[in-house]
Amino acid sequence: MAEFEVTALGAGRYRVSDGTRQRLAYAAGPPHARWVFIDGHVYVIDVSGNRDSHTRRAHDDDMALASPMPATVASIHVSEGQAVSQGDLLVMLEAMKMELPIKAPRNGIVKAVACARGELVQPGVPLVELD
Amino acid sequence: MFRRLLIANRGEIAVRIIRACRELGVESVAVYSDADARALHVALADRVVRIGAAAPLHSYLSTDAILGAARESGAEAVHPGYGFLAESHTFAAACTDAGLTFVGPPAHVIARLGSKIAARQAATRAGIPVVPGETPADQRDVTIADAARRIGFPVLIKPSEGGGGIGMKTVRDAASLPAAIAQARREAAAAFGDGTLYVERLIERPRHVEVQVLLDRHGHAVHLFERECSLQRRHQKIVEEAPSTALTPRLRARMGDAAVTLARSAGYLNAGTVEFLLEGAGDTARFYFLEMNTRLQVEHPVTELTTGVDIVRAQIAIAAGEPLPWSQDDLTQRGHAIEARVYAEDPSRNDLPQAGSLLLYREPTMPGVRVDSGVVEGSDISVHYDPLIAKLIAWADTREGARARAIAALRSYPVLGVRTNIAFLIALLEHPAFVSGDIDTGLVESQRAALLTSATGDPPPEAIAVATHASGSAGPLDSASSTSADPWTTLQGWRG
Repeated sequence: MAEFEVTALGAGRYRVSDGTRQRLAYAAGPPHARWVFIDGHVYVIDVSGNRDSHTRRAHDDDMALASPMPATVASIHVSEGQAVSQGDLLVMLEAMKMELPIKAPRNGIVKAVACARGELVQPGVPLVELD
Repeated sequence: MFRRLLIANRGEIAVRIIRACRELGVESVAVYSDADARALHVALADRVVRIGAAAPLHSYLSTDAILGAARESGAEAVHPGYGFLAESHTFAAACTDAGLTFVGPPAHVIARLGSKIAARQAATRAGIPVVPGETPADQRDVTIADAARRIGFPVLIKPSEGGGGIGMKTVRDAASLPAAIAQARREAAAAFGDGTLYVERLIERPRHVEVQVLLDRHGHAVHLFERECSLQRRHQKIVEEAPSTALTPRLRARMGDAAVTLARSAGYLNAGTVEFLLEGAGDTARFYFLEMNTRLQVEHPVTELTTGVDIVRAQIAIAAGEPLPWSQDDLTQRGHAIEARVYAEDPSRNDLPQAGSLLLYREPTMPGVRVDSGVVEGSDISVHYDPLIAKLIAWADTREGARARAIAALRSYPVLGVRTNIAFLIALLEHPAFVSGDIDTGLVESQRAALLTSATGDPPPEAIAVATHASGSAGPLDSASSTSADPWTTLQGWRG
């Protein structure tokens, strides 16, 4: 990777230079989800560097198995003990007149279903647990 | 002129109207729901009235709450903006009954033009071509299917009441009819409380071109030329421009005349927009009346920048009984304007609306660029309302100049904390079809994969360098960010 010189300019602004060409960048957010803007593009980068693979997997599961926003559970497509493959539809949510499928992020066994049909669910809370 | 005007809306359009009031020396009254107590429009208005809970039905859609706020604040007029109650004829009538001036056309005109059936009849009577279609009186599936066969495939099936593309289905053959009818009816009933369906011929590769009109109480009527609004996703516009690359001066004059004729014959007053589908381009192109929007349009700034007319100011002046200060011959189009709508949505997840706090938000300022927004750094984007954050409008003497300006401005528009479509908009403005001006309403969906590829991707090394360097300090809103972790913990996994 090329070496970049980064200078903090204050108020979330950074100058990033490769020695020849420089650009203005912006950054904000906590280390595990650092938002960076460069040239019209936004990236969310985890720079916390303190996660082992096991917690990372649990973390990724939680992300994939939770609703991204307040939503209503339209239907549940799996039950406890059921084997699922990556991409299988687990729960269908409904928010802002849109259907929002929650799919299995990996192969596994359904350990628990933590929501009920018609329930209003909040973001960040896993709706299904995978073993 | 009015002494005090209430704005029955929120977000960028409420801010836009407050600014017009300030120029006119009219006191502005903002209304707000519990979710908007700290919103920009509430901070900017001269007076504010809380009207209810976050859910629109209890606030921005509540006629009682808004009329109560008007009474309480002593407002003389109500500007509805767009969306919410802007096209509700019962709201317009309730304003009039309460002794308030509704900034818009008379209630009975909204009612007539708001019905697709009555609006088409009005257009046909005025001699303006319409797309072949009908609303079967008998709404059984089998009768709707018959109508589709009679009109000829491909057809569009859509709610008779409503708009915004909700419940609209394209059907290319008889076999797909039953499923499409059932789904359209379900969505129509859910969204508009009325499952009545309308069937029409689908015009292939159409452009969506609309004409802005203004009519005063003294019998004057003008049009402010066209807006090209073909770039849509899910039947909702994302990039608009004026003028349209498809119109010749002759076609422009014909469409302008048709729009004014229709508005006059319908007894229209104030600002309105006549939407047309355009088949082909140049002098031989055919245009069909689509519908009339009886309100201010989201994309009105491209007309303002190319004609020099402040449409919101004109609306308020017309409502106050003032005559239009120009005749048609005084009005010209100058240069080219392009608007890009910045939405809190994730294009890589089917434009899923996003919610959260704007950790960092800096609007670009440069010559020829205007940003109409309803947020500032630190604002919350709520799940309750339309995810439109801002509109970026670029003007230049040529289309290519406006395009370059819009792209340069979007490249200098950092929005962090909530995903937006900014990179997608840049990709769209750089797409060869947009560069050449050869666009149609299907372009965004047909090119979606290519646009996404150019709008998304792994972080480049300089982005990682900045992220790593920034680790010591978490940005300007560090203290706020540590208290509510939801937006980014959920958003982190969203890179598609």
